[in-house]
Formats: sequence, structure tokens, C-alpha cells
Amino acid sequence: MRSVMGAALVFLAVAGSAVAADTGQSLYNDNCSACHQKTGLGVKGAFPALAGDKLVKGPAPLLVTTVLNGRGGMPAFKSDLTDAQLAQVLTYIRAAWGNKAAPVTGADIAAGRRKTSAVAQPKNLQAH
Amino acid sequence: MMDSVMGRAGGILTRRRFFEQLAAVGGVSLAMAGMDALGFGFASASELPPTLTGGGKGAKVIILGAGLAGLTAAYELGKSGYNVQVLEARSFAGGRAQTARKGFVDTDLMGNRQECDFDEGEYINIGPWRIPYHHQSTLHYVKKFGVQLELFNNDNDAAYVYFEKGKGPLAGKPVRKGQIAADARGYTAELMAKVASKGDLDAVLSPGDRETFIAYLVNEGRLKRSDLSYKGTDGRGFDVLPGAGIDPGPGKESAPYAFTDVLNSKAWQVLNSVAGWEQQRTMLEPVGGMDAIPRGFVKNIPDGVIKYNALVDRIQQNPKGVKVSYTDAAGKKAELEGDYIICTIPLSVLKNIRMDVSKPFLEAMNNVAYAPVNKIGLQMKTRFWEEKHWIYGGHIYNDIPGIGTISLPSTNWHGKKGTLLGYYAFGGEAAKISALPPAERAKFAVAQGQKIFPEYAENFETSFSKSWHLDPHSLGGWAEWSDDGRKTAYPVLCEPDGRIYLSGEHLSYLGGWQAGAIESAWQQIAKLHQRVQQA
Repeated sequence: MRSVMGAALVFLAVAGSAVAADTGQSLYNDNCSACHQKTGLGVKGAFPALAGDKLVKGPAPLLVTTVLNGRGGMPAFKSDLTDAQLAQVLTYIRAAWGNKAAPVTGADIAAGRRKTSAVAQPKNLQAH
Repeated sequence: MMDSVMGRAGGILTRRRFFEQLAAVGGVSLAMAGMDALGFGFASASELPPTLTGGGKGAKVIILGAGLAGLTAAYELGKSGYNVQVLEARSFAGGRAQTARKGFVDTDLMGNRQECDFDEGEYINIGPWRIPYHHQSTLHYVKKFGVQLELFNNDNDAAYVYFEKGKGPLAGKPVRKGQIAADARGYTAELMAKVASKGDLDAVLSPGDRETFIAYLVNEGRLKRSDLSYKGTDGRGFDVLPGAGIDPGPGKESAPYAFTDVLNSKAWQVLNSVAGWEQQRTMLEPVGGMDAIPRGFVKNIPDGVIKYNALVDRIQQNPKGVKVSYTDAAGKKAELEGDYIICTIPLSVLKNIRMDVSKPFLEAMNNVAYAPVNKIGLQMKTRFWEEKHWIYGGHIYNDIPGIGTISLPSTNWHGKKGTLLGYYAFGGEAAKISALPPAERAKFAVAQGQKIFPEYAENFETSFSKSWHLDPHSLGGWAEWSDDGRKTAYPVLCEPDGRIYLSGEHLSYLGGWQAGAIESAWQQIAKLHQRVQQA
């Protein structure tokens, strides 16, 4: 079982690297903007603004684990995006809308996964 | 032993009498052990509401939210003599148990306003839509309120599966689920049977087991007994259907796909030895829409108990009582005082409301994520899936990003029109499609469905879409607990903080199901009642 899971992860990683056309911005628009808005300003009382946000501009580890595992209404992205994609999108939000914080690397994401056991889960065909 | 204890009612054994007699002989524990032994091991706590003997002693309970949890609490506490008042943010009861039909209006956080313009009789359950047979708590109220049920087809061998990310000739091609099942399991059984018959599994099979194992595989895979080969089977369908006389007479069975093609198609993802506990093949649905359940509650709760269009602004408590500030339908600020609160507001929304609770409680509330969830109903001019494809209900499983499943209605068979579920998607994929305006969402759904049914686009008439994460009163489809959250935050939130009790699907292991909301309410009102009796 363990070795099968390992193989699946390798496959995911390969599939991820094949999507080289993604940019941090396109990943953001596809995965985040429905709630946080393309402007990064969020929706008051529902979805926090990312522009000028302390968590977004702060130390990478907390930001990484928040996006991997979700928090307070935000979904977990550990199974939706690869390490490379997560690094791209976080690097984007740390530099967009006047934010100025250091880029996030794939290694940062991998470390966050290890620390919180945030392993990508296979997708369920059904729920509820 | 069995005979002597088995109860008979007029000569006919009933399950209840059997267990009553077991209890009489061996006490309740023996009866419970007997239930478990027979596989009836459903704890009674999830079948019936708690009995609240002794009355409410004048206690006033403010219930926040008129979804299934709030309605359950209001109905049961009210019936037992409590003074209850419900504040509901929406203009109707039911929470996420919503049915969109002609005239139903929804405005999301982005300002997308949709008014459903389906034909009379057409509808889509944009929230919960099916009830596994073992959700006896939900079925308890369905029965009590006289809600009419019909079967929901949750597994249809005739339905197509469509996996475009696979490889080989079956990738990106609609194939009937039964054909994939017959071939994948048939070839697998053949392999195993041949290996076993050569004695290659003797390390794990005794000689007696070996023969039985092979017999099982022949049965399971519908193999030829003579050479243990899989050559197809009638269950996967016919190229020429059998019928009358000489022609078509016996018809012509279809030929199986090549094993390698089946494997490479990835369509086997839809196969499991048995349905998951929550995904039973036997499911039920209320006739005419899921909102029949909340409407049943409302009919049985006295007028005036539920205050609609009441937006909670602030939740306060002190050792003597509770106070809720809210904005009413007219935009006026108002207050309500009481002894206890049962708060069923989803944590995604509640975290934005100021509430007097301890710091660990607040932190625990922030520890749960909510799932982005999309659904869209597509009204079709004809029921081409029944007429042209002979698919009566069930799901079109696929791997199209943003679609999840396409589901065909289990109602109004052979009606003139029909409304199918064009997508049911979660997570990042759902977030992406929800960023589109409603008309664009429909365009996307129709274009994808066209890949599976050639009649899709020409039959499409109108749509109604819902994105639960963009609903201001839900901010997500359901709570998504991490393993860590279940260990740390969940137990904290299951216990009251002072006079405030949380309740809802998010405080159950039946997350996202109506049964979770109902059973959570049962558990919390039982705790509250015990406290009131002791006060």
C-alpha cells in the first residue's frame, strides 16, 4: 500500500511539472480569486483581503500550512495543487497589490507538508 | 437457544420481539450484543430523538439558524415545554436544504442574482439531495411529517463513465459503467483463478480453500468454468439485443474490451467491492424536492417561533443568561434575551460574529476549513438520457476538471422535460468555476456535457447554479475537518461554552449530511436538558 501511494505521488509530481504554462497569477485567478478577488481585496465580512495582509506578508511557514490545510472557512489546497504550483501562487500573492515579501519555494511547501502531515489525498468521486 | 428466545408475533418472528426477548433473558447488553452479531449494530441514539422528560422548567432557549439542526432543536425543545425562539438570517427555513424551482431567488456575495426560471414541476436540489437508507434520524422526521419519498438511483450500471485523462482507445469516450465493471473484474478474476489453479497461491491457500477460491472467482468474474477464461458476459450488454423468434432470437452478446485498454482508461476508478458507507446504492429523496423536509418542520413549529431575515450581530453571555443582538428585516437593531443559546451558524460565518466565549473555544472555531462546493441544474427540453441512452437516474462519473459528477434525475420518469445536475464539484475546481457569472457557468457545463451526450447542447434550455462558498449565510458547502482538528478543536466545540451550545453537521462525523445536523442537535439538546433538570 505504502509503495502504491509513493508511486501515485511521483505521478502527481510529474503531472504537475507538465503544467509549466501556469503562472502564479493564472493559478491565483483560477483557484483563489473567486473568494479573495482578483484585486486581492477580498469580500468584507466573508473573505479577508490579501493585499497588505499580515499573514500573507509574514513568515512563509505559517502561510504555507494555512494554504495546505485551510483555516477558518478557507478550504485545504493540499490535494488540489502541487508543491511547485503552491510555491508559484504564494510567491505571486506576496509580491502583488503592493505586498513585498520574499518568494516561497517548492522546498518551503514540502517542509510544510512534512510538518503538518499534509499529504495530497486522492480525489473522491462522490461526497454527500 | 435461538429458537427458544426468538420472539414470534402471531407465529411470525419480528426483529423487535427477538431483541426484546433477548433483553428479557440476558439484559440489555445481551440484546445489544445480539444486534451487533446480526449486523444491526446501529446505536439507538442515532435513530430517535432524546426523551426530554420533566419539561423545560420555563427555560428560554434562543436558537440561531433554522437549518436542519436549528429546526430539530426548536421542534423537540418546543414540544417538551421549553420557551424557544429561532433567529434565521434567510427569508426561509432549511439552511442548506434548498430546492431551486420557478421563482426561487439567490444572490451570492459577488452580487450574482439568479431567479430560477425552470418550468413548473422542474427543480434542482442545490443542497442535500439524497438520503442513505441508514440515516434513520433524517428518516425519522421524514416519516413523522408525512414527507413522501422516492428511490434515488445512486448507482447505475447503464450510466456512462467518461475519463479523458486516461490513455488508449477508451480514454475520452463514454463507456457504460457495467462494461468497465464486467471487464475489469472478469479479467482480474481470470488472472487470479489461473494462478491459483497452477498452485502458485498454495502458500496462502489450503488445498480445500484453493478449490473454493477458484469457484468464487468463476462466479465473481463470470468466467468459463472449463478454462477459467473471461470472454465477456451478457451483463455487459449486447450488440444485437435478444428478443422474439429466430431473429433476433438469442441476439449477439457484446465483446469485451481488451484488458490493457480497460486498465489504461482509468475508468476503473468508479469500481469498488462495495459502496462506501455514505454512498449506498439504496438512497431516498423526497418527492418534489429536499425542501419538503424543512417545510415539514415549519408546519409543526408554532407560528412566530422562527424570526426570518434576522441577521445576528453579537452574541453575549454572562453567568445569569444570554443576549443576542440582531438586525431585523426592516434593518432595525433588536435584542433577544434568554437562558441558553443553541448556535447552528456554520463556523465559517460564526467566526465573523462577535461572541463571548473563551479563547480556546474561539481558536478551535478557526481550526476548521470549509469546502467550496458548486452545483448547477440544467433544464433539458427532452429526457434524451432516458429516451436515447436508456439511462434512468444515476451518475456520469468523469474526470473533467470543474464538473465532478453529472447526475440524472431519479424523478418524473418519462416526463416531457427533465432537470439534470450539470456539475457537482468541490475544492479548487469549484472555486474556479464559481468565479464566472451564472450564464458562463452554464455555458461551461453544457460544453462539457456535450462531450458525453451528443444531444446535450441542443436540449439545454435554462440553468440555476449555486456556489456554497459564495453564499453569505453558509460560506462553504460543509466543514472539512483535518485529522488534527478532529483531535484538538472538535472536542472543545462539542461541549458548551458557558450557556452557548454549538450544533450542526460540523459537529458530527456525518459531516455535510442532514443526519449530522439532526443528530448533533439531538445530542446538544439532551445535554442542555440534563442541565436544566439539575438547575
